[in-house]
Amino acid sequence: MAGQRREFLRLLTSALGTAIGLLAAVPGLRFLAYPLRERTVWGGEEPIRVAALAELEPGQPLRVSVVGTRRDGWLRLDGIKLGACWLVRDVDGRVRAFSTVCPHLGCGIDWSPNSKRFDCPCHGSSFDADGRRVAGPSPRDMDELEVKLAGQDVKVLYRRFRVSTPKKEPLG
Amino acid sequence: MRLSDWLESRTGYRKILDDILLEPVRGGARWAYVFGSVLTFLLLLQAATGVLLAAFYAPSSTTAWASVVFIQEKVTLGWFIRGLHSTGASAMIVVVGAHMAQVLLYGAYRAPRELNWLVGVLMLGLVLAFALTGYLLPWDQKGYWATQVATSIMGTTPVIGHELQELVQGGPAYGNYTLTHFFALHTYILPATIFVLLGAHLYLFRKHGVTPRWNVSEAELVKRTEAFWPYQLFRDLFACAVVFLIMVVLVVRSHGADLEAPADPASSYVARPEWYFLPLFQMLKYFEGPAEIVGTIIIPTLVGLTLLTLPFWDRARSRAPGRRLLPLAMAGTGFVVVVGLGLLAVRQDRADPTFQKQRAIAAAEAERARRLAIEGGVPPEGGLGLWKNDPLYAARALWDEKCAGCHSLSGAGGEKGPDLYDYNSRAWILVFLRDPDGPLRMGPAKLEKGMKPVQASEDELRALAEFVYSQSGTPDADRSLVARGQALFAEKNCDECHETDGQTPGQGPNLSGRGTLEYVKSVIADAGAPMRYGKRSKMPRFAGKLSDAELTALARLVRGGGRQSAASSTENADHSSPAK
Repeated sequence: MAGQRREFLRLLTSALGTAIGLLAAVPGLRFLAYPLRERTVWGGEEPIRVAALAELEPGQPLRVSVVGTRRDGWLRLDGIKLGACWLVRDVDGRVRAFSTVCPHLGCGIDWSPNSKRFDCPCHGSSFDADGRRVAGPSPRDMDELEVKLAGQDVKVLYRRFRVSTPKKEPLG
Repeated sequence: MRLSDWLESRTGYRKILDDILLEPVRGGARWAYVFGSVLTFLLLLQAATGVLLAAFYAPSSTTAWASVVFIQEKVTLGWFIRGLHSTGASAMIVVVGAHMAQVLLYGAYRAPRELNWLVGVLMLGLVLAFALTGYLLPWDQKGYWATQVATSIMGTTPVIGHELQELVQGGPAYGNYTLTHFFALHTYILPATIFVLLGAHLYLFRKHGVTPRWNVSEAELVKRTEAFWPYQLFRDLFACAVVFLIMVVLVVRSHGADLEAPADPASSYVARPEWYFLPLFQMLKYFEGPAEIVGTIIIPTLVGLTLLTLPFWDRARSRAPGRRLLPLAMAGTGFVVVVGLGLLAVRQDRADPTFQKQRAIAAAEAERARRLAIEGGVPPEGGLGLWKNDPLYAARALWDEKCAGCHSLSGAGGEKGPDLYDYNSRAWILVFLRDPDGPLRMGPAKLEKGMKPVQASEDELRALAEFVYSQSGTPDADRSLVARGQALFAEKNCDECHETDGQTPGQGPNLSGRGTLEYVKSVIADAGAPMRYGKRSKMPRFAGKLSDAELTALARLVRGGGRQSAASSTENADHSSPAK
């Protein structure tokens, strides 16, 4: 009888402990997982002017900062650098923009005027003037950004993409 | 070999578990012993919810409030976690009270447990310190002003007060270092100290065992002895579950803890501490001038010393409560005084209409600030820069630039045009009817052949004003008065100059729709239009100079009659649709 009572109490106590634990842990984990469900950092929803058309010379990529409004957690930052991109104007006058973020592991890509290539200084990924991967560990070509021309203004829709994946996948 | 055997051979964990779980409870498990375990549970819950909150909180004077708003309003279940943390603090105070009452009643502070009592009283001090430091962290009006009182009191400590205060608040005034200091105290120093003391408390408790009831014989105690697991642990966990459930219900019902408007050093907020500090707060009211130190330092110190030294001055021969009347009577009196002071504080505030009014204003400001923060994000200068998100602020700036040269919104009178304070009210119209060319109306405009004062009795004027007031289509117009006003409008020949059909121009403005957003907008756009003031108007035309959005914003400001201050307004009547 006493043994039965003890066993029953043990079961009940364990159940109580588990219930309390769950009631505390489940909301806690959901709270922590908030950044997985909602965007916490974003900005530049609209195309942003980054340069004047006249500043671009064919075959000479130009690195420009993308300055806009950034939402970061609770913060709203106006006129802040969202990132940078390389503007490339080809001989036909077409303007393309490539994110400076290396698709390999996120380092900043530079232009090497001598080799006429984009090189990542971290792990040696290399891309041609059209952003196509030519060497190194990058899983894909440079990430192209949408360009809008409005008169003399070159505007870019700035985005970030998941790195280290063969597919170009926008973040946020 | 099973994993548990392997672990046992490497760690010897089974003996540790047995030591913890199978400890004999002398005289058997009792509900009276649950409070210590509930407090341990609450402390762990505070630690867990505290760590969770720290994952989304940023302690600086420009980020603290903003990050807490986002915890409260945006982060999944943030209101719940924050609510648990805040309610947990209150629960700890209540359960500490119950724990101490049980220890006092059973005489468990007496030899050989004096040291454990001492450690317990120190932990009580730490619990209060936790509450005090945690209160400031949201950097809202409530925490900011209530904590100011506490640190100011700290500053009145003899000899070291000044240095102590500056050390704790990180400088001569509140700022970033106050928050970083309080954060360090609240999340590192106090937790580390309280967990060390908890370890000592539990060790000493285990060393001497429970203190059973005073009237049970030794033989009976031995006979009734049970193992901690599951007999006492069941009772402990059951009590934890009850306390936890009450907390959850309270949190769900209140939707988490309050969050006032961001701390504003320029405001005069009516500061009240959290409920458990209300007795101290109330006591301060009774000590004036040089006697203040009695309430701030001397009495609290004496109470603390009395508590700390209790086991050493209670010399009664027996643990039986009947033999320890002095300490029990003192504790009882203390309890009654503390509760009485607290209730008195609440009652005085409830009966104080000024306090209630200021509370209502503060609540409205808090609501507005949180909404602005969530809608537009918080600027880098923090919560106090939020007015920039306010659509009325932009209108104010525009007003200052384009309108304030001629008009006033304050009731002080315009330079070249009517004062528009309270424009959309009966009172404004009445003043106009009595003396259209008065200093608060068209006087400063110096119009040629302007409107003459309406010759009518006060009652008739009231009816006329009601009729004009009703032109906006407002539902709160008095219909019978409007009908009388309409008749008078013809009788007094008002309709010779003013039409009310919304189509026909006249000598004066067509009053149809007067007071609506569209009407006000049309005046700002082009006051000289035939349907408005016609060629006699001296007001510049703003159509084409201002965008439609700007005209709308200005019209809203004028319709509000300057009643909405850009920083603190909460009502925008029927036209609140801030830009998203």
